[in-house]
Amino acid sequence: AEVFPYPEIGNEEVEEISQLVAPVEKFFNEEVDSAKIDREAKIPPETLNGLKELGLFGIMVPEEYGGLGLSNTMYARLAEIISLDGSIAVTLAAHQAIGLKGILIAGNEAQKQKYLPKLASGEHIAAFCLTEPGSGSDAASIQTRATLSEDGKHYLINGSKFWISNGNMADIMTVFARTEVVVNGEKKDKISAFIVERAFGGITSGKPEDKLGIRGSNTCEVSFDNVPVPVENVIGEIGGGFKVAMNILNSGRFSMGSSSAGMIKKLIEMTSEYAATRKQFNKSLAEFGMIQEKFALMAINAFVMESMAYLTAGMMDRPGLPDCSLEAAMVKVFSSEGGWICVSEALQVLGGLGYTKNYPYERYVRDCRILPIFEGTNEILRMYIALTGMQYAGKVLTGKIKEMKKGNIGLALGMVGKKLRNSLGGSVDLGLTGKDGVVHPSLAESAKKLEQNVTLFGFTVESMLYRYGKTIVDEQLILKRVADVLINLYAMTAVLSRASRSISIGLRNHDHEVLLTNTFCSEAFFKNNYLMAQLQKHSPENNDANIKKIAREVLENRAYVCSHPLERTY
Amino acid sequence: VLRRFHSSPVCPKSRPVPTEFTNQDGKKRDTSLVTHDDLFERVAQDVKTKATFNKVVDLFIKADVRRRGHVEFIYAALKKMPEFGVERDLAVYNKLLDVFPKEVFVPRNFIQRMFNHYPRQQECGVQLLEQMENYGVMPNIETKVLLVQIFGEKSHPMRKYQRIMYWFPRFKHLNPFPIPKELPEDPVDLASFSLTRIANDRDAKVTVYQLPCTDITESGEEITIPHIVGIQSPSQIEQLAQHNPSRPVFVEGPFPLYLRKKCVYYYILRADPIPADEKVEEPYDPERCLDYPLQLDLDLDRDLGDEESFDVEDLDEGPVFAMCMTSQGDQATLNQWISGLQQNNPVLGQVPTLFRLEAGPKELQGTAETESGHHYGSDSATQREERQPEENPDIITEEEPRRSQGMKL
Repeated sequence: AEVFPYPEIGNEEVEEISQLVAPVEKFFNEEVDSAKIDREAKIPPETLNGLKELGLFGIMVPEEYGGLGLSNTMYARLAEIISLDGSIAVTLAAHQAIGLKGILIAGNEAQKQKYLPKLASGEHIAAFCLTEPGSGSDAASIQTRATLSEDGKHYLINGSKFWISNGNMADIMTVFARTEVVVNGEKKDKISAFIVERAFGGITSGKPEDKLGIRGSNTCEVSFDNVPVPVENVIGEIGGGFKVAMNILNSGRFSMGSSSAGMIKKLIEMTSEYAATRKQFNKSLAEFGMIQEKFALMAINAFVMESMAYLTAGMMDRPGLPDCSLEAAMVKVFSSEGGWICVSEALQVLGGLGYTKNYPYERYVRDCRILPIFEGTNEILRMYIALTGMQYAGKVLTGKIKEMKKGNIGLALGMVGKKLRNSLGGSVDLGLTGKDGVVHPSLAESAKKLEQNVTLFGFTVESMLYRYGKTIVDEQLILKRVADVLINLYAMTAVLSRASRSISIGLRNHDHEVLLTNTFCSEAFFKNNYLMAQLQKHSPENNDANIKKIAREVLENRAYVCSHPLERTY
Repeated sequence: VLRRFHSSPVCPKSRPVPTEFTNQDGKKRDTSLVTHDDLFERVAQDVKTKATFNKVVDLFIKADVRRRGHVEFIYAALKKMPEFGVERDLAVYNKLLDVFPKEVFVPRNFIQRMFNHYPRQQECGVQLLEQMENYGVMPNIETKVLLVQIFGEKSHPMRKYQRIMYWFPRFKHLNPFPIPKELPEDPVDLASFSLTRIANDRDAKVTVYQLPCTDITESGEEITIPHIVGIQSPSQIEQLAQHNPSRPVFVEGPFPLYLRKKCVYYYILRADPIPADEKVEEPYDPERCLDYPLQLDLDLDRDLGDEESFDVEDLDEGPVFAMCMTSQGDQATLNQWISGLQQNNPVLGQVPTLFRLEAGPKELQGTAETESGHHYGSDSATQREERQPEENPDIITEEEPRRSQGMKL
């Protein structure tokens, strides 16, 4: 009910966006020199000022605090353009998507009044300080401490964080530190969030890291030495830092979908020009099948990423602040991997020319490499997606599975009957197509595939829970497949929804959209079936046991195990 | 008795009589007839090396073109090889094979091929290859060429060679933990090698707590300070840090470790397994991981068919915290080891350490029998009872009761 029809925005908003988009695009095309930023590993101050004037430092900040006050959808639209330059995109994202989001979401009125205006205008830059050398996703190993001073008015923060984007330039940081909390009479260490200003003193930034990509963005180590933070600067409450962190991280992810999509669209433009003009064997590159395949791949990926990103943004914009963290995670995983593959293929089309620094492709490739890593590595996010799903499914299915394990004959016979009916080719109908269906009839086939996948997935999840129960947390290879299936399913839904809307309204080139949708759905259908076949018990396609064994032997020896092919025994 | 064509019928050679006649100097010689053993004895009265062995063989080869009595000579040489220390040397075997006259024993027509041509020589060749196989010597292409020249393609020694060459390459890399042929001589090096072999853990660190030396005190006595080499891995350090100080830790030993022909002894520091009711599990902290729940809030358990963690042989025998090797296993030395360990594991200062040492293979001064294994279990009880009558056992006799212990249990 939430995904069909595709979320729309009103006419006035469309006009507002186009008004905003034009100057930003102009700015990026003319005044931003990405090659120079990449070479010098620094964003020139004129560019930063230009961005501040355009108001890009406070896109989501409400207007009463001086920001643009735009919704998530519009933020996604602007992210499409900003992504033309990776370093600027990351700097802005670190500033708004995570840096000041904490104050925005969980801050109280006083904090918002105090900090948001300056942050929105760009006078102060924000940063998000959570990662430490010993702690990436493990919140229990955070060493930074915040102790209450004697007068009870200040917290003294001690410790160091690293890989902080905007670390050198940031004036206001959201820092997470351990505090002692009394819970049920027991003293425990819990994490709290603090707003720390550089003006408080005691903050030193290390030198900027020399990175592979996004070289313009400033990433460095930040150390805190007895930094006094007034008690009013605690975000949320003491000990509630964990929830604040989760909310911030989960809400900043969806924009990656539209930024990757924007980047790929620009790449398609540049690459297709080259492909059409370069001639070999008296044919232009565009007539060769493999090159055409690459372009089709890029187009499909861009299309799917756009659909997923705007669907999620639209869902998040609904009144009531729905929790779309799961969908945002799926968007992030798909777009980061899709983006990496597409950028590599674009470089491949150009061949040797793409490899040189004369063309921007190698910069795009390097910038894209960070996408699967930051904002939660893809592996962690897959675990999150799968486990959240399992948790929900488990709650619903626990009763039934327990009955089955006890050996209830009636239930077992019912299951057997259902399985027989399925395998003998009964058609599955979840209500997507047909007379009252929400999907347009020209997409009926793809919708049928989606329905089949969904039902099969339901059975698979049930059997997973039956076999593993709650120890499924340890079976990462299985959860990875579950997550992949989920991402594909969400992508298919997004794409079907958007295409149906396009046809119904009559947007330009909607038949092209139908083509993209059908191609993507059939590919995803096949991949899903294969993944689910691997998940069956003792399936021959499943190589998990072998993979684990190989990994165990290699890791025991900490080297490649086999003897060299040229060795002799006699 | 078949007459041999290639030797004179006048004096039939006799096989060396395998009785042991002790001479004045205790060497094994037989005094019946002058046999080939004598050659070996005479040539090398004091030094028995490869060079002298080769000299004897050369002597024989040069003595007679017809190589009379080569079969007995080869048998005698094969028997003498271990004394000269050349039993693992391929060149020597090839030289011995060279003693056979070439092309004489190769069958020339189908009757010869049918009827086991020159059986005694073929048996001798097979025995030579058999000794090679027993000592694990991989034959050479030169061996093959020699065998083909001497016996022909389809002879018994050739077949034996083919069998050796089929199996030996397969057996070469069978051992997942091979021992190098030359063991280190230095006791400290030997100790660290064997400790790393027992621990089989890449992170385990070997520390030498004391180097061996002999000191002369004021009263002119010689005191030998034994070497103490210990090993501990970081996970053992962590486990020891979590050990409950009210429970004791035990120093047990010495346990034998055999490396080819050498036997070394090691001691371990262990504790009893924690009884099930006292096991403390860390309570689940839902705020541990920032991204995904580390434990699902479900009531379901793993299916019986997929339950892989249960193994009958997987017994909890209690953690082993560290191991050490020393030449002299008395309480004083082991105390030094414990105090050396204490630098990395401060908890050892508060934990009571009990020494459960058995009488080692050598004479011990100040035997450590504080807790001489009353609660050790049926194992050491029977071992103790058997060993107590032997207060100063020799190493050789010591090993036998242990071996029989192993077989009984």
